[in-house]
Amino acid sequence: MIFNVNFFSFVSVTAGLLALLLILLEWTRPGLPSPLRPICDLRVLNHFIKEARDAEVAMKSCREGCSLSESVTVPQTRVEFDVWEKKNALEQAKEVQSGLWLLQQALNLLRTSVTNTALHSHIDNSIRNLLSINAVLRSLNIQEYTPPASAAGLEGTWSVSSAADLLQVHVNFLRGKVRLLLLDAQACQQDVS
Amino acid sequence: MICDHLSRLLALHVIFCAMRYPSIVQGARDFEKKVSMMLKEEPENPKCFAEGRKDFTCFWEEDEERAGSVDQYSFTYTYQKENSSRCPLRVLRAAGGKRLFICHLNRTQMFVQMDIRVDRDGTQIHSRSLLVELVFLLDPPANVTVSSTGQQGQLNVSWVPPPLKYMDDSMMYEVSYTTADSDVGQVEVARACSELILRGLQPGTKYKVRVRVKLDGISYSGYWSAWSDPVFMETLPAELDLLIVSLTLIISLVLTGLSLAILLSHRRFLVKKIWPTIPTPDSKFQGLFTVYGGNFQEWLGRTNGGLWLTPAFFTPEECPSPLEVLSEFSLCPSLASPPLPPKASKALTRSRKEEMDVRKGLDEREPLERVDAALTEGWRTTTHDQWLLDRLRAFHRNPMPSSQSSLLESQDAYVTLNANNRNEDEHLDDILEETLPLEVLFASRKTVLCESHSDLGSVQQSSGSGRLSSQSSFEYPNHMWMPKGPGYTYMAVADSGVSMDYSPMSRVEDIGKVVIYANEYRNEIPAHGRPFPSRQHLVSGDG
Repeated sequence: MIFNVNFFSFVSVTAGLLALLLILLEWTRPGLPSPLRPICDLRVLNHFIKEARDAEVAMKSCREGCSLSESVTVPQTRVEFDVWEKKNALEQAKEVQSGLWLLQQALNLLRTSVTNTALHSHIDNSIRNLLSINAVLRSLNIQEYTPPASAAGLEGTWSVSSAADLLQVHVNFLRGKVRLLLLDAQACQQDVS
Repeated sequence: MICDHLSRLLALHVIFCAMRYPSIVQGARDFEKKVSMMLKEEPENPKCFAEGRKDFTCFWEEDEERAGSVDQYSFTYTYQKENSSRCPLRVLRAAGGKRLFICHLNRTQMFVQMDIRVDRDGTQIHSRSLLVELVFLLDPPANVTVSSTGQQGQLNVSWVPPPLKYMDDSMMYEVSYTTADSDVGQVEVARACSELILRGLQPGTKYKVRVRVKLDGISYSGYWSAWSDPVFMETLPAELDLLIVSLTLIISLVLTGLSLAILLSHRRFLVKKIWPTIPTPDSKFQGLFTVYGGNFQEWLGRTNGGLWLTPAFFTPEECPSPLEVLSEFSLCPSLASPPLPPKASKALTRSRKEEMDVRKGLDEREPLERVDAALTEGWRTTTHDQWLLDRLRAFHRNPMPSSQSSLLESQDAYVTLNANNRNEDEHLDDILEETLPLEVLFASRKTVLCESHSDLGSVQQSSGSGRLSSQSSFEYPNHMWMPKGPGYTYMAVADSGVSMDYSPMSRVEDIGKVVIYANEYRNEIPAHGRPFPSRQHLVSGDG
């Protein structure tokens, strides 16, 4: 009887230690960049678009403390389907990635410019969403592209001076070019046979 | 040669135009529909809508009287951060005295703001700012097909979405289905798919199905398209669910079985309730209905106060009561019953005869052994006994039928008794009667009743005694009459409870003449515990 008790206690202690070890290992697992699965579901982007729209609406109703300190360069959002379809995937990707980068810079500036605390959450959301979009594009094997430092005067860019215009550009860019790029992404095409 | 070429070209052109004519007409009709829809839906002027990735149309309407010529108007549009452009206008006459000024663009830029301005004679009359991808007005879905899914109350609706690249997943559909007779329809929404299964429909009914499309409003937006042409389809007819049918059958069988069991267990009670035994007075009035057919007068005349006797004999519900020995037979000549008045004696004789006759009709099985037993009982004589004795005398005088010869032997014994005591010979009848086996007595009584009038007068009581009636209401059956010893009265009353089985009767002819009274003879009285209430009755009758 005593022997049985001892044996069982030994087994239970061993199991507990093993479990603890596994937990520790999982927790401290080195964050190796594992190949991302392609995110082809556009509902993610739809969510970002909705949040960007909310920010734009909030900005339109803002009376004070919501202005850009200086003009920012933003990508052009217009899409002519004939023209767009003539471009190859690489060009499209470059266009989208540079535009996203420009928007990120602009929103960062806006975040510091706007003093209205109500808008801060919206702007933070938008910035976060842009980073997520980068991740999505990365998952689709679309490389990041950083335009040169002198962004002003680049082809396919505008300059805006008001916060409302900035957010409007932001929304239109997401709805237009980013979406078209994701729709046409090669990685997603292979999944959907 | 050139003329030939030209003529051929002209012919081809005409043919080509003729072929395109239907599509042109259809296109015009569609445009008119869209225009009317836009007039309803869009409050701003000019009303603009995009039909596809490239086509863009703007229009406004003016009253005929106030409208100027086309040249007076100018339509200018400007994309964001770009130079403005002009759009050529055309005029269309609409219903209700209106004029439509239409601008059509073949190339559009999306996701940029477009500013529109309409001038008339240099003066701005309309201005608007919009995004082209947010004013889509698509054609309704084509090739709407409705089919059955194979299940009850379901229909499968499928369609072809408008052919717009990049916008398939942004489309939202509404499927409207109504029954043919009702106006109120139900609507089902489907997103980004081109077929839908309608559920919860009524079986065996015809449905009208229509579909319309709209962009969902996230990336692209617009107005609801026109309804597609309706498609009619009938759902599968209602069929009996096998499970429900079988369950219903089983439950009904179980209920039927239960009810039957209950009915059977309570059948006697139910029979009594539903078909109650209607009491008939037959039992109290012997022969009234069977012999005389309900004629009470006749019955009274024939039976001679059998009213008194019959109940005594044939009351099945009467409880057996113990036999009371009211008179004791003794051979002492001192006992003599006083003479009765003629009428009373008549009645008495009638009744007595009746009883005796009923008891007579003996057959061989017999009373001889009982004679002794009966004698020892002893009965007190009454006038009734005297009457019996007289009858016995009469009987002896009359010749006996040969068939009853066997009974003569028993008679001999009675005769002996009679001889011993002349005065008491009236008691012999009683004695003899008592000695009869009860079944036989009973049977004989029956037969007597059957022999209604034929035996009248067959035996004459030619006794000189005034007690006997000369008119023989005394009814004898053809078979013999068993002489009875005096001093014994009727014992057969108890027999009323005895079984009515006449098989013991020896005489064949009697079997057919036996009267069977329904509801009268219940074997409730045990065979040996016989009551003799008749004795009491008779006593009361004497008084």
